[in-house]
Amino acid sequence: MTALGIPARLEEDTNPRPLPWRRMAWVTWRHHRIALGGVAVFLGALAVWLWRVGLQLHHAYAAAINCHPAASAACSELVLNFDTIGGILKGGFVLQPVPALIGAFVGPQVLARELETGTFRYAWTQAFGRWRWTLAKLVMLGVAVTAIAGAFGVLVSWYYHPYLAPGRLYSATSPLHHWLFDLRGVAFAAWTLTAFAMGALAGMLIRQVVPAIAATLAGYTGLAVVVGVVLRANYQPASHFWRVQWIEGSGLLALSALLIAVTVWLVHRRAA
Amino acid sequence: MTAVTVPVRPAEGASPRPLPWRRMAWVSWRHHRIALGGVVAFLGALAVWLWIAGLQLRHAYAAAAACHPASSGACQNLIAAFQGTSVVLKGGFVLQPVPALIGAFVGAPMLAREIETGTFRYAWTQGFGQRRWALAKLVLVGVAVAAVAGAFSVLVSWYYQPYFASGNGTVFSSPSPLSPGLFDLRGVAFAAWTLAAFAIGALAGMLIRRVVPAIVATLAACAGLAVLAGNVLRQHYLTPLVAKGSNLPGSAWITSEWWTKGGKFAFGGRPRVDLLQQLCPSSFVSGPGGGIAVKGNFSPTTCLVQHGYTQWSDYQPASNFWPFQWIEGGWLLALSVLLIAVTVWLVRRLVA
Repeated sequence: MTALGIPARLEEDTNPRPLPWRRMAWVTWRHHRIALGGVAVFLGALAVWLWRVGLQLHHAYAAAINCHPAASAACSELVLNFDTIGGILKGGFVLQPVPALIGAFVGPQVLARELETGTFRYAWTQAFGRWRWTLAKLVMLGVAVTAIAGAFGVLVSWYYHPYLAPGRLYSATSPLHHWLFDLRGVAFAAWTLTAFAMGALAGMLIRQVVPAIAATLAGYTGLAVVVGVVLRANYQPASHFWRVQWIEGSGLLALSALLIAVTVWLVHRRAA
Repeated sequence: MTAVTVPVRPAEGASPRPLPWRRMAWVSWRHHRIALGGVVAFLGALAVWLWIAGLQLRHAYAAAAACHPASSGACQNLIAAFQGTSVVLKGGFVLQPVPALIGAFVGAPMLAREIETGTFRYAWTQGFGQRRWALAKLVLVGVAVAAVAGAFSVLVSWYYQPYFASGNGTVFSSPSPLSPGLFDLRGVAFAAWTLAAFAIGALAGMLIRRVVPAIVATLAACAGLAVLAGNVLRQHYLTPLVAKGSNLPGSAWITSEWWTKGGKFAFGGRPRVDLLQQLCPSSFVSGPGGGIAVKGNFSPTTCLVQHGYTQWSDYQPASNFWPFQWIEGGWLLALSVLLIAVTVWLVRRLVA
């Protein structure tokens, strides 16, 4: 017993009430800063790439759209030039796995890692209480991941704008097309949140990080195929873009809230 | 001391030689059966999908290829139906991440899991020896993963066959078998990429010593290597052929285009509009809204040829497919062996 230790202990003992929620933000940050930093680095690198190619794309689009008469060979050359920019980014295919990767690598870490390494025995017996501990972490991380993905989604929307702008250049693409719809508007952030919530639940059920990551990727792919091919009605007019965006966004938000609620309930129930 | 344990101990003590390699196959299987089972389930599900979609695709192709005359409206509908079949699989992009995923989820945990959980202290001090333990596991699991991937790629090659068939000429403007997206899914390249991804994963796990960061690093490294191979290395495997003018076979993989004037290099890629304006000013007028307008049926190629420019293309003919496959398979195999050797060498250093 030292002189320093005694007053500190007494102060703690006279405050048996649970820690404030605000402190959990610090704990969440300390536990998951590498994962969050990784997400920021990953999306940052993609953002630099999108920005550099996007400037060329917008430049080529402006040149092609201002060319008259449209039927001339020189204008066709400009349209062809516009078409060759972007390469692998064209059609949005390459960005499709981004929400799944973020969700799969952040979500299962929250519970599966604690369960796999045994640190849950320490974490869940803190004054804060195990279900509030879980809820605080999942909500804070979910909001953080969604916010980052939302900011990235704005850049993605800007990048693909030339393909969807009214004009003759890229008539085939509807804004409701499979590969572009869920990268733009609110859908990108909503899909990222859903992948995160699926990852958290998979981690709680499987209790091992790597199998939970694999299960999240598989489950996400299945859901994306079902929503893209079956639920989201194709051949809608382009003017329905925002209406379908809000329907899909709120549906996914509800699903995420449900998945997080089930995860917290499972934590609450486990060895109660 | 019981009667049972006494006779066993002297027998073990009298045989201090290391365990046979064959036993390691059983240990590798016991340790990695979930990962290997996962790979088989994953590729099996993809195979079912490819099989169902492939039958539809062949059916649509046969209908379109047998239709005469090809320019009739009914035949055009059949060709459109063929081109609209299984759009998701077209171009092969959806299957591109498969080798990286297998490598990351099987290769990275190979050593990282033992190190992260501390079981390496037990495993690596067995009679078999830490170096041989790591070598045996990596070689056995690596061969198993490459074999499964090789079997899968036979199905992939079968699936994409109609796109490369030349029937009816107009059915599909067939892509070059060397073009990025499809080249590394067919032949021996798919199995070689899977093995390389596995070896990258094993080394990443050994260096990072934590499973999840090693998986992430493996995915990033595989993506980087695939981009490097597809955009930089592959076009230099064999000396490209050079074609003058624009008459190239449709299946050629064009790697660069440039123009010359008077035997000297003029510019690469597509002609710039300001150059065309300078050469053929009579074809251009200022258009509405400050844009550029062009008269009639102006052709940039004709304009350039009239002014003494000559078009050149570097290309790889489709007949280079198998040489390219063996070159890519060869260097990926060499890379995999090197990475596994480095990993095993690092294992020795970790405990020593």
